[in-house]
Amino acid sequence: MQQPTGGSAIEVDGLVKRFGRFAALDGLDLSVAAGEVHGFLGPNGAGKSTTIRVLLGLLRADAGRVRLLGGDPWRDAPALHRRLAYVPGDVSLWPNLSGGETIDLLIRMRHGDPRSSRRDELVERFALDPTKKARAYSKGNRQKVALVAALATDPELLLLDEPTSGLDPLMEQVFNDCVGEHKARGASVLLSSHILSEVERLADRVTIIRAGRAAVAGLALTGTGPGLEQVFLDAYRQPGGPGPGVAAR
Amino acid sequence: MSGTLAGTVLLTRMALRRDAVAASVSIGVLVLLCVTSAVATPGLYDDEGARVRAAEAINASPAIVALYGPVLDVTSEGELAMSKMTVLYAVFVAVLFVVLVRRHTRVEEESGRAELVGSSAVGRSAPLAAALVEAVLLATLLALLVAVGNTLSGLDARGSAAFGALWAGTALVAAGIAAVAVQVAASARSCAAYAAAAVGAAFVVRAAGDTGPTWLSWTSPLGWNTQVRAYGDPRWWVLGLYPVLAVLLVAVAAVLRHRRDLGAGLVAARPGPVRGSHLLSGPLSLALDLHRTALLLWTLAVGALGILFGMIAPGVGDLLDTGAAAEVLDRLGGLLVAAVLSVMAVVISYFAVSVVAHAGTDESAGRAELVLASATSRARVLAGTLVVALGGSAWLLLVTGAGLETGYLLTDGPAVGDLVTAALAWVPAVWVVAALTVLCFALHERWTAVGWAWPAVFLVVTLVAELFEMPGWVADLSPYSHVPQVPAERWDWGAEGGLLVVAAALLGVAWFRFRRRDIG
Repeated sequence: MQQPTGGSAIEVDGLVKRFGRFAALDGLDLSVAAGEVHGFLGPNGAGKSTTIRVLLGLLRADAGRVRLLGGDPWRDAPALHRRLAYVPGDVSLWPNLSGGETIDLLIRMRHGDPRSSRRDELVERFALDPTKKARAYSKGNRQKVALVAALATDPELLLLDEPTSGLDPLMEQVFNDCVGEHKARGASVLLSSHILSEVERLADRVTIIRAGRAAVAGLALTGTGPGLEQVFLDAYRQPGGPGPGVAAR
Repeated sequence: MSGTLAGTVLLTRMALRRDAVAASVSIGVLVLLCVTSAVATPGLYDDEGARVRAAEAINASPAIVALYGPVLDVTSEGELAMSKMTVLYAVFVAVLFVVLVRRHTRVEEESGRAELVGSSAVGRSAPLAAALVEAVLLATLLALLVAVGNTLSGLDARGSAAFGALWAGTALVAAGIAAVAVQVAASARSCAAYAAAAVGAAFVVRAAGDTGPTWLSWTSPLGWNTQVRAYGDPRWWVLGLYPVLAVLLVAVAAVLRHRRDLGAGLVAARPGPVRGSHLLSGPLSLALDLHRTALLLWTLAVGALGILFGMIAPGVGDLLDTGAAAEVLDRLGGLLVAAVLSVMAVVISYFAVSVVAHAGTDESAGRAELVLASATSRARVLAGTLVVALGGSAWLLLVTGAGLETGYLLTDGPAVGDLVTAALAWVPAVWVVAALTVLCFALHERWTAVGWAWPAVFLVVTLVAELFEMPGWVADLSPYSHVPQVPAERWDWGAEGGLLVVAAALLGVAWFRFRRRDIG
């Protein structure tokens, strides 16, 4: 597998994104090393999705430096996207296409080949009926369509925005296994989530975002010290962010 | 109210609020069309004799009768003034009410909002009932405004009341058709196709009846519009037919509603393929796939209308059989073709607008994000939409022209020139309208809906400018005004080239904006 330059999959420094007068991102720092699963936490409206959309080149950064797999996500978007896959939190599909058609389309648009991909295996593992038209899928099943398409080609980087919303516990387990396998191959993940237990189980490090800034940047989860829930609550309860005791863990 | 209708009042108020702008603008445009025709007509004719001769000329040309319906009372000023409005523009009224009913029923179900509403203390039939109550209220408003507007414009008050009522009747029947279609269709999209097919069938049956056996016109609600004879000696009882049919349709819809599940139609959705075809691999093939069915239906519709008008138009030649007259009539035939094409071009513009609007919906729903998160550039995303919108509308004009030509050949009509070329002459103008819509989309996804207004706006501009003899530049604002009326006029490379340059410039600005803007 091609390794990203400098050993980091994502490098964000002082990212600012404004919508009118509202600064959704206000000097965000985020660093995801190659081969790590990086948890990205924050409550609703903190700027998680905005960050991912800047990383995808969908939104244009107003200030700051953004590097993704060694490239500029705004300028090099299509080329970079061949090496990554994205799963949004609220997957909307073309109502008239079947799940199978959608998966193959999404793989092909990343220049992958569905026949040589792990698509069939993943459809099986996620217990997805690929013949249903997308309009007939529940939220969880739409989520599975996006997950299968993303995981099938073994990309270098996964950008996951609350990927398990709507999945049942069994499917969440399958998802956890898949992310584990993905990491075992040496690939990277940016996992935005509300589910602290999921992040705690999967992530090597976490960044907690608060009002468009990193309240906790790249904290390593070692399994000792205060739990993630405590870190998260501290980051949000204290007016100035987390105290030095937490950051020094 | 209780039971399955609980919450209807609340939903009606919500529907009226959501539609406030769109419905006001649409109704405003429709009223304006009537008023401009009503005001301008007296100035067009020197005396009553000239006016009667004009009405007789309409009745003598089957193509115009097929398009507008006959003028049943040639002595009536109102009948002549409203000749375009009675049937042809009533189709726009029907479309508006189909859109309204579908928007508050199946579209809501497909978006999942109806589920949220259905979980509250709102009855199962309340969304449909609310959409229909809204339709009745807006139809009444439309009737009142048209009646008052036409009366103030100098037309007979009694006739104007009858005319307003017949438009409201068309609106009610259209709402009834939509109410049934939303129960039957497997999806919100196919429901639009069913309803459009029903309205189209009503128009074709009426056209066939008006130019052939009259009893056929009576089987079409659009045929009743002419038979009311609003400004002649109104047949009030005909106005009673609309509510009767509407109530029947709604009753059928209500029965069907209780037999289907939320979000599903009576026609079951078929399962799709397990795998995607290797042809479905990018934004262009995706756009083609998404619009394939719509394009097929449009092709059949414009092809059939083309053949119909092509067959009817040369019928003029049968009336006079001398050499000199035949030559005059060839020119007249050319004019008829031009009139038909000018209407078809506006209608086909809506195909292009719908394709661009679909791109806007894809973006607001988050599907554009999925495409752009893949290795697909913005250029290819925009190009996919452009190819289908521009190529599709050009194809539909080609089919229209081929249909007209075929109709002519079938009836051995006099040659009036190359009808395919005549149809293709409209391509650049339609592309300008499409390019304007693309520009709206490129500025912001939210503005894409403005695209639906362009064809109507240009139509109104042309009508108003012509009827009030405004300075030339006013009419020239509309791209449709620049099109040479082939075969009655000569092909004009200057005008066509100018329109193409304008379309290209608009697309250039759109691209400049689209590649730099935020998505979603």
